[in-house]
Amino acid sequence: MSMYPSHFAEPSLKKETNRSSASHIPVKAATNDLSDSIFYGELKNKLIKYITKKGNKSLARELLTETFETIKRTQIERLILAGTEKENIIIDSEQLLKNAIENARPLLQLSAIKRGGVKYQVPVPVTEKKSYFLAMKWLLDAAREKDRKVHLPEKLAWEILDAACGQGRVIKKKNDLHRQCESNRAYAHYRWS
Amino acid sequence: MFRKQFGNLSRVSTHLSRNVLAARVASREAEMSTNAAPAEAATAPPVVNEFRTGVGNPGEHSEVQIGKFYTIPMQEKKQIFSGGGLPKQYEQQIKTFTEACLMVRSPALELLNYIKRADLSKPVVRYVLYGDNGVGKTLSMAHVLHYGMLNDFLLVHVPWAPNWMKRPKESANSASQEGFIDLPFDAAAWLVHFKTQNSKLLERLQLKTSKEYVWSKRESTPAGSSLIELVEHGIARIKYASETTAALISELKQLATAGQCKIMVAIDGYNAFFHPITRIFSDNKQRVSPDRITLTQPFLDITNYDWTNGVCILSVDKIAMTEGYMESYLPRYLLGKEGFEHLDPFVPVHVGNYTEKEFTSYIKYYLDRHWISKTQPGFEEQLKFMSNMNPYTLMQLVRGL
Repeated sequence: MSMYPSHFAEPSLKKETNRSSASHIPVKAATNDLSDSIFYGELKNKLIKYITKKGNKSLARELLTETFETIKRTQIERLILAGTEKENIIIDSEQLLKNAIENARPLLQLSAIKRGGVKYQVPVPVTEKKSYFLAMKWLLDAAREKDRKVHLPEKLAWEILDAACGQGRVIKKKNDLHRQCESNRAYAHYRWS
Repeated sequence: MFRKQFGNLSRVSTHLSRNVLAARVASREAEMSTNAAPAEAATAPPVVNEFRTGVGNPGEHSEVQIGKFYTIPMQEKKQIFSGGGLPKQYEQQIKTFTEACLMVRSPALELLNYIKRADLSKPVVRYVLYGDNGVGKTLSMAHVLHYGMLNDFLLVHVPWAPNWMKRPKESANSASQEGFIDLPFDAAAWLVHFKTQNSKLLERLQLKTSKEYVWSKRESTPAGSSLIELVEHGIARIKYASETTAALISELKQLATAGQCKIMVAIDGYNAFFHPITRIFSDNKQRVSPDRITLTQPFLDITNYDWTNGVCILSVDKIAMTEGYMESYLPRYLLGKEGFEHLDPFVPVHVGNYTEKEFTSYIKYYLDRHWISKTQPGFEEQLKFMSNMNPYTLMQLVRGL
């Protein structure tokens, strides 16, 4: 896929990098969405790309910022109401997003494999990259399924908060998928035979 | 000679090292405050630390408090700002932080100084706040309004004048003046705002009307009835709200000149009264300029200098104009020739971006309120660079952190 040969190193985000030991290894050019500012987050960037519609990335960025704002507001409200158990409440919205995505990542997936003229739903392990993709896709799908009057940031914030504490529709979706995989475990050998 | 040079060098070096030390101490203090401060600040309201001041009365604020936050009690906030007067996003922030905090800044202090020293028996002085977008004109005004409320000024406060020109609730032809347009709902809303701000003071002062106002064949307000009755009539009979506003303001002017009360006029977005483009249309689909709206006349009248015992605080704002007229934030450009001549002579008060001290204090406040959760080394520098120390831009940037 990449235009670079495989021995090229990934670009580094740090300002000062000690490359004296590896100066012979060429480095890929940095993409234009990389930065070392406080606003940068790898996962955040990925999600922004998924939110984007018709190339309107600035809008997507704005939506995610608003989502984070909503999350922060609700969490601070909770913190004030909490009283004693203040340590358990995370306010960092990016950390919450990370937790939500980790919670929503599936391990297995069903894929249709044809054996003897019959299609079987065979459980197949998911690669790491795809599991992240699915988690974020489910989050967004859940957020986009809403009333017309509710704004995306608001709903997305709620979905992220739900998923971060292991509840909600996204987690249910993941659990359903796992359950189906479990019930189809008898077909698992069709993956290789 | 060599010795002299050597001495210089050593002095420089000690100076440098001292600075480094100071910076290191400061940074450590900042870290400690982020860790320790929140726990105590959330529970006990009147905390005093490096970015907060316990002085709640704006009349007592001085240079010492610059860059520090003071808290407006919720009840007073409700009384002054329930009808508007704080920016919407600031309201939201107040709600999230569960405290109404305002930073003491130099433009507001300058204004307060002028007001405290003003001779009220002389004709009113007009103060014009001006500055770039999002720089804190409205909040400076809010600070001064709080002072006014605590010091028994009757507040004549228009939270955002362009609302009347840009998005009026309803417009109707005026019954009393030919060719003029009434904004009955907006006038009534303003009367409600006036009442909530001043009801306590009005009850205490017992101000009376000087002449009889006849609204229609059956309705009239007799001479010698209290101002509250006049206001309540305007609220109850929305049709006459605009005329009531005019009557109320002329009464107030007379009463103030007679020395029965002192008045603080605060109008945000004052230049909207002189901007010919509005979104109000007359019967023949012609744009109505602000001087043909009955509601503007009393407010132009009260900003004139032909009365005493009052202060006028006006702000001119770029976003009060319409597109194509927003090149500069300077009063002469925004007010136009007519408006400038109407106000001349006035005291201009420039509101600028944060200073270094105010900026760090704001960051500390945000950290204390858990609003910034990413504290990599050097994040302040980045925010400073990106926001150019503009208050609104900073607020927008920090949202998603």
